Amino acid sequence: MFLRYVFPPHPVGFIPKEKLRGYVDGINPVSGKPLMPEMVEALTKPLTEEEKNPVIEKRPKRPRLLPPDTEENLYRLFIENGWTDGNPIILPTEERVAEMLTGTDRDPQEVIGRMSVTTHQERLEYTVEKVAVIAVMAGCRPEHLPVLLAIAATEIPAFPSSTTSFSSMIMVNGPIRHEIGMNCGLAALSPFNYANSVIGRAWTLMSINFGDARPGDTFMHSLGHPINYNNLCHAENEEDSAFEPYHVEKGFKPEESTVTLFRGWNYNGINLGPAKAMAEALKRQSSMGRAGTFIMDPLVSAHLKDEGFKTKEELRQYIAKEAETFPQMINFIVVGGQTNPMWALTDYTPSITVSIDEWIPKTGIKKDEKPIRMPQPVLCKDGICGI
Amino acid sequence: MTRNNVVTVLDPRGQPSGVFGRRSSGDNPGTILSPRVRPVDDRESMEKLQMAERLDTLEGKLIYLVDVGFPGSKEFLEELAEWFKENMPSVKVVYKQKKFDPYSDDPELWEEIHANKGDGVILGVGG
Amino acid sequence: MEDHYNIPTAPIVTARFADYILKDSRSHGMLLRYSFPPHPVGFIPRSHLKDYIKGNDPYTGKPLMQEIIDALTKPLTEEEKNPVVPKRPGHPRLLPPDTEENLHRLFLESGWTDGLPIVLPTEERVAEMLTGTDADPNQVVGRMSIAYYEEKLEYTVEKVAVNAVMAGCRPEHLPVLLAIAATQHPSLPSSTTSFASMLCVNGPIRREIGMNCGLAALSPFNYANSVIGRAWTLMSINFGEARPGDTFMASTGHNLNYNNMTFGENEEDSPFEPFHVEKGFKPEESTVSIFRGWNVLGLGLGNAEEMAKVLRNLPSMAPTGTFVMDPLVARSLIDEGFKTKEELRKFFAEKTGYPPFAINFMVVGGQTNPLWITTDFVYTETESIDKWIPKDGIRKDKKPLRMPEPLVCKDGICTLPG
Repeated sequence: MFLRYVFPPHPVGFIPKEKLRGYVDGINPVSGKPLMPEMVEALTKPLTEEEKNPVIEKRPKRPRLLPPDTEENLYRLFIENGWTDGNPIILPTEERVAEMLTGTDRDPQEVIGRMSVTTHQERLEYTVEKVAVIAVMAGCRPEHLPVLLAIAATEIPAFPSSTTSFSSMIMVNGPIRHEIGMNCGLAALSPFNYANSVIGRAWTLMSINFGDARPGDTFMHSLGHPINYNNLCHAENEEDSAFEPYHVEKGFKPEESTVTLFRGWNYNGINLGPAKAMAEALKRQSSMGRAGTFIMDPLVSAHLKDEGFKTKEELRQYIAKEAETFPQMINFIVVGGQTNPMWALTDYTPSITVSIDEWIPKTGIKKDEKPIRMPQPVLCKDGICGI
Repeated sequence: MTRNNVVTVLDPRGQPSGVFGRRSSGDNPGTILSPRVRPVDDRESMEKLQMAERLDTLEGKLIYLVDVGFPGSKEFLEELAEWFKENMPSVKVVYKQKKFDPYSDDPELWEEIHANKGDGVILGVGG
Repeated sequence: MEDHYNIPTAPIVTARFADYILKDSRSHGMLLRYSFPPHPVGFIPRSHLKDYIKGNDPYTGKPLMQEIIDALTKPLTEEEKNPVVPKRPGHPRLLPPDTEENLHRLFLESGWTDGLPIVLPTEERVAEMLTGTDADPNQVVGRMSIAYYEEKLEYTVEKVAVNAVMAGCRPEHLPVLLAIAATQHPSLPSSTTSFASMLCVNGPIRREIGMNCGLAALSPFNYANSVIGRAWTLMSINFGEARPGDTFMASTGHNLNYNNMTFGENEEDSPFEPFHVEKGFKPEESTVSIFRGWNVLGLGLGNAEEMAKVLRNLPSMAPTGTFVMDPLVARSLIDEGFKTKEELRKFFAEKTGYPPFAINFMVVGGQTNPLWITTDFVYTETESIDKWIPKDGIRKDKKPLRMPEPLVCKDGICTLPG
């Protein structure tokens, strides 16, 4: 259905009234015709044959394999086609993808979702194998595949198209965090952990290739967001937290592994102080709505307990009241290495929490004989930590 | 694929330089607080330094408690002064705040402690 | 105090940093007599502090106050009287030969990367990268440490080329990386607070190497923006010697450390003078400017009054602010009556009480929405790129690698999707 759109110049927000009047009196910059007569015509001109019999365009299916070429040419092809984030990838050969697929028992051809970064474009369908292709490109090993499948199955892109610039966040809970060596402690949000780096990146590569993100075409962020590179990928520090883990709060069992996706715009990275300061910061935060996800070091959670907040729910009620917002818009995440009792305030809202377990092979997570791990930061037990 | 071919690659790490100390000025946002007068320790190569001779006892001595400015330092040093009052009342303690931020040097304060014949310094609390 | 005035000193540091401090002072040849109360001492009740003082140093297990008194009164040992500064051996230029798979593993397990795939820096690739500059490969570019008092590591033009290969760069990017390396600033300075960094390129090189200054410039859709930003982090890891829990102490870390918010300024669509011109460079010079801070508020919408309000409300440790704005915002500010950045700066300084020089404006974006990003970033330095460019111009591939260009929208004539 091809509607009769009329296009005034962009933008119409935050500009003087006289200018808007000029747009109304002026011409449509796309068609070059006067705007108002076009609008009248849109309502009065009889339908054409084409408009009476609309056809939906079908895009051809893509073959499974790309034409064979040298490594160098293939790297170039991936970059020039916009299939990557610009950083080096591992080429998804049949051999590597087959190895990646040992990370799950699921049928490689099982369709697990459809995605688009826009709300109106055709969604692209993807299988378990396609997720494995992305996993190879991102630099993952089979042990990471279940987390990626769980993320892919949500059908949520890391950067939904909007002219505002969204950022996203991935948080993993449950035993898989340690099995695949994720960092939930010191510097968990910085580039010092293999699993955090490649999982976060893989969501971006999925969003580009499944969500069909093409800047200026389907992707309209005016400025973009630098968090799109890794999507704040981390695991919750359940061990050092004074509160119950996030996924337990959402009704999952402690021994289940889950991934939670968030989205928002703002990241206030430096804050200190008690619950009152948290409420004040939330009240002052400039965003759409008054959602707040606090990302706190375990030291902060311990102090909040000392202050008298026994559960996250008590803290939530207090902050909501003080900040004049709704309790259900407030979330708490515990991560960090206990070197500083700091918390970050974000305007992130959780999109979904899903189980990872259904994607894990029956015989357990498929680990390499010697799994690749970057140097582990020493986790600090309050006061007795030998760095 | 050339997976099993042996290749030689270069080491990506910088070489130890024997040079220590602060980076150039403008190093931390504390600079902004007072850009004109903040003394900058740009001493690059630190030679080995000599420690001072120790006191025979703290009894009757003048001890400066220097607050470096990290959160909680003031409160901690106040409690420390309290401890001296209760346990070693002959020790004279003077509380001083280091200028600017925890990372800058404060030669004026060191000069003041020296001029006032301070016997010792307790400096804290880093964290 | 000790060396200059001969006044004995008892430094106190929380136990969290015990090993860090001891190692650090050893490397300076002066092993001071530290005492370590439990960590932290900030934002906790007074009664806890009292207990700390009455209690033991959790690092040594000895009573804390006795330790502090001993620090000032116990006679110096022979070792303390005759300090030695230890020397670390240098690294050989080449690593032992191995298979690609093993080398990829070695780089990850040694913590020489950001966790993402790298291109292995073979001699051949590094030699090719070095065609990107006329500078001697063995020329020392600088020294860096991410920590305040650690030994700095020294790096040459060749070392920068090694990290450039690893990040996925081509020779055309090398001059930018050399300029960044020449600042000697790491992208992830060690602090228990978690710093983010920002990197902005100005001047003709932006276009020559295909950087994105327009639509979605801060997102992962541009080859040059991605690899340059990443290379700064790899250099900070390998030159600044970033080892989490050892030299790198950021409690939660900062996600901007992956790419360091790398972009080219949209000079063409900005009604203001470019940032580097404001800093005294010529418009035809190419420069790199670096910033650092903690906060990034992605969703700003509204006039100058609103911008001032958001900046004022930004919780930060420094009275600084850098606005990263779409060209549409810059133009609407001019419509509001601000003719120059200087006028804007004065306005914001009055509204916030911050010093005017601590407020900066960068213009970037694709004009799909008049949005601005508020940050508390402080401007660190601008470095010229030109001196690192070969005499016969930037060394480009026969067909330079470029990701798809975003459709840049000129106000009002841009075809937005239906």
